[in-house]
Amino acid sequence: MKRRVFLQAGLAAGLAAGLPGCRFDGRSLFRPDIRIARPGMDTGHALRDRRALPPPGQPVSGEIRTEVAILGSGIAGLTAGWRLAREGFGDFVLVTGPEPFGNAAASRFGDVPCPTGAHYLPLPTAASIHVRTLLSEMKLADDAFAAAPDYDESALVHAPESRLWINGRWQEGVQPHHGIPPSEIAEQQRFYAYTESLKHHLGRDGRRLFEIPLALSSRDAEWRALDAENFAHWLARNGYTAPSLLWYLDYCCRDDFGTGLAHTSAWAGLHYFASRTGRARNGDDAAVLTWADGLNTPARHLLAAVTPQRTLAGSVVRVRERRDHVEALVWQNGRLIRIRARCAVIAMPLFVAGRVVEGLAGDGFDPSIHTPEHAPWLVANFAMDHFPSEKTGETLAWDNVVYQGKGLGYVVATHQLIRAARPERTVFTAYHALADGEPRDVRRWLAGASADELYDLAASDLAEVYGWKLARNAGAVEITLRGHAMPSPRPGFLGNAGTQALAAADGRLLFAHSDLSGYSVFEEAAWWGWRAAGRLLGT
Amino acid sequence: MLDRLLILSVFVVASCGLAYELIAGALASYLLGDSILQFSSIIGAYLFAMGIGSHLSQYVKDEDSLARFIDIELLVGLIGGLAALALFLVFSWLAAPFRTVLYALVLIIGTLVGMEIPLVMRVLNQRQAEFRELVSRVLTFDYLGALAVSLLFPLVLAPKLGLARAGLLFGICNVGVAIWTAYAFRRELPGLRAQLTRAFVVLALLVAGFAVADRLVQWSEKGLFGDEIVHAETTPYQRLVITRWHDDLRLHINGNLQFSSRDEFRYHEALVHPLMATLPWAKRVLVLGGGDGLAARELLKYKQIESVTLVDLDPAMTTLFATAPALTALNQGALKNPRVHVVNDDAGRWLENHDQVYDAVIVDFPDPSNFALGKLYSVPFYRLLKRHVAEHGAIVVQSTSPYFAPRSFWCIDATLKDAGFHTWPYHTYVPSFGEWGFIIAGAQPGYAPPERIPVPTRYLNPAAIRLMFDFPPDMQPPPGIQPNRLNTQSLVHYFEQDWRNVQR
Repeated sequence: MKRRVFLQAGLAAGLAAGLPGCRFDGRSLFRPDIRIARPGMDTGHALRDRRALPPPGQPVSGEIRTEVAILGSGIAGLTAGWRLAREGFGDFVLVTGPEPFGNAAASRFGDVPCPTGAHYLPLPTAASIHVRTLLSEMKLADDAFAAAPDYDESALVHAPESRLWINGRWQEGVQPHHGIPPSEIAEQQRFYAYTESLKHHLGRDGRRLFEIPLALSSRDAEWRALDAENFAHWLARNGYTAPSLLWYLDYCCRDDFGTGLAHTSAWAGLHYFASRTGRARNGDDAAVLTWADGLNTPARHLLAAVTPQRTLAGSVVRVRERRDHVEALVWQNGRLIRIRARCAVIAMPLFVAGRVVEGLAGDGFDPSIHTPEHAPWLVANFAMDHFPSEKTGETLAWDNVVYQGKGLGYVVATHQLIRAARPERTVFTAYHALADGEPRDVRRWLAGASADELYDLAASDLAEVYGWKLARNAGAVEITLRGHAMPSPRPGFLGNAGTQALAAADGRLLFAHSDLSGYSVFEEAAWWGWRAAGRLLGT
Repeated sequence: MLDRLLILSVFVVASCGLAYELIAGALASYLLGDSILQFSSIIGAYLFAMGIGSHLSQYVKDEDSLARFIDIELLVGLIGGLAALALFLVFSWLAAPFRTVLYALVLIIGTLVGMEIPLVMRVLNQRQAEFRELVSRVLTFDYLGALAVSLLFPLVLAPKLGLARAGLLFGICNVGVAIWTAYAFRRELPGLRAQLTRAFVVLALLVAGFAVADRLVQWSEKGLFGDEIVHAETTPYQRLVITRWHDDLRLHINGNLQFSSRDEFRYHEALVHPLMATLPWAKRVLVLGGGDGLAARELLKYKQIESVTLVDLDPAMTTLFATAPALTALNQGALKNPRVHVVNDDAGRWLENHDQVYDAVIVDFPDPSNFALGKLYSVPFYRLLKRHVAEHGAIVVQSTSPYFAPRSFWCIDATLKDAGFHTWPYHTYVPSFGEWGFIIAGAQPGYAPPERIPVPTRYLNPAAIRLMFDFPPDMQPPPGIQPNRLNTQSLVHYFEQDWRNVQR
């Protein structure tokens, strides 16, 4: 309905444009309604500026006493709460923070849910006990701890999984091969064969070189030395020059780390390809688990265990460690609530913790030095009134990527439905890691960009594939800006003494966040939450 | 003399102009259904395009008007003449952009036709004809031509020649006008030789097209319809076409034959009775797909069945088969039977959202020809379905042809087994389909073909049923068949390969 009114208005404006003396920007005639979300930005900036939060002189209007306060409701905080609850420890409170679910948040258009953050979970490694426990509890895997469990196929990504728009047509899979010369294909295969061989390679300490969770990787200094080098340099040094291979590796780094090859640690780049050893009895090794609203489905499962009674909406504005307790102030709709807890799990990103938690330097973490660089992201959900027509013989895949495109492609929210006919409406989720330029400059641009500029960026891949048909089919678009979406494993990240100190902290404050791993994926975030809960439980 | 010749060409040109419009309208309503909409929108678009043509004609310089008129005649002849044939081919080979191509052609032809009359009038005007007389004569012949063709087309040309050849005939007329005019005004035309060469090339093309048009149309059209169309409808989900040839009614969905009334009883008896005759206690039956009501007709023969729930996506399909007399005669009014409950919903969604349990389920989905349909033959779908089947109940699945698509057939069997069913595959011969296969699947082992069929049948008896479960050597399961998992959808690949091997 809105769209029709919009089009009528546009049409009237278009007619007016034909009259002499009237000026009209024809571009916006065929543009859907744009909504822009900046989750956590206002709260974050108020904390940064130290003026607005907590408001000076604001009285504390309530106090909650609890054993454990979990501060943050991303995957790390939720996993900590879920594990505590599941092992019978009920005396805790989980504070959501400004954006419940964090990078696992979701949105919805009509009856189509869609992610505003991450959208898939790779098959867990053998070491990912925490993920396997969760999948088992969610009844997503039979015999979840087997080498190759039987996963619920409705959650395993359905065929066709991915395709790449390259040289004006689609090819199956994202690794470029259509129109790529054989010499480059051979180089791609050499790289994959090498990383495949690293998968089961053990360091001198008997651990896998590249493990998930990352903290369980080998400490073998010879291999960790790779962290001093950037991935682009390592590739050049090892004779990898094929543009198609370098594009794909750069794409993977932007996708998982938010940085291009030149700003990614070589160790992290190899970790991406050599760490994933999960398998499924009923799917390819490269299969992933996914849901219409992305990781919000497992996140909601975790939250259900936390229960609403133990959940407190609001943002933590101050955490102080006292002699015999931890005090946290929570800002909730104009009220200030004090939580008095024996222990606290700091499950918020470190650039926020650095502003909120007092005395971090005493724990060995100097926010000005040790806060990892966070990459900015843009996630755009295009509500499609109709599926745009594909080229003859082509089928929409789950993940659709444009070779050398500006973005990371787009994912189809209704892909996993089992239906006799495809639904009338769907949502395309387009991802952009804003890896060009310094994150700080990009964030400044994001803050000042107009809706039209953001739309042009968000729609760049889709516009390349569908051209003018995109505007005809997209009724609305919700653009979620994540200025500090994820920590990037830049060269040297493994040697960050500050994050190591927080990871080791074992007093009244425990830290749980993927920032401790240095890159943001579900398994890492969940692992820190799992581990923090384990410490509280004494296991 | 020359002026009179021009006036005569106006008559021919006007006839051709209207003819293209009629052909496009007829073709659109023939192929797309809803003739009022098709005719109105095509006439509207065509007249609008003629307006554009008239407007554009002012940009032709006075001294060029005769030469351009001849060029335009050639273009109209070529594009207009081949349009109908091209549209037939586009419709049968590339279903998606048909409308776009149709309207693009209508606009192009309309624009060219719209330039004809203004140019003729200018040529005549240059020759110092009296303006009052000129307008009256040109328009008189214009409208006379329209009358002639509007009678000739439906009464003689369309039935005798068909749409494609009628179009080509009018194209030849246009080229004839061009050649004739060029020859008559040969002294006034500078590039006569080139123009005549072009004209004869176009003429040769059209004549050749005329010669092969019938075969081409038959070739493109037969694949889809073959016979007289008695109902054509495009719904949001599919295109339904019902054809009749003597007493043979056929349903085509998206161009694929669904049944022929001559032998559908073989298919539907084979689908229903080998299972139902062994479930004398079955009271509640679910049919997925089967909006034609023919499986329901077989089910209703069993007096003990209290309710048949039929879930079919397309309300247009179930409404058609509940109301059209020829079709209700075929399904014996099954869809109006009080024991039958028709649900128009997506079978996948409906199964997810309901939890009723049925004693038997008849699964009659379209073949797994794409990834979306392949999901209805997958392990999770069968697991979902299993939750709707009573402990001792069973399902039967239409499973493509074990002869033409052996890997697909045995893949469905492997998929049912992976979902925890015991399976009993069988097959029979349906003349309009060839050898066709079905699979009975139950949560419990121990199916045995029925000793008797308690209801009247035209085709099956217990001996015939027993034979269906025997697979001769050329229909044995191929080795190494993988079940259809959603992550890989092996079935869709098997199906594509199997039928690629069969079709020429």
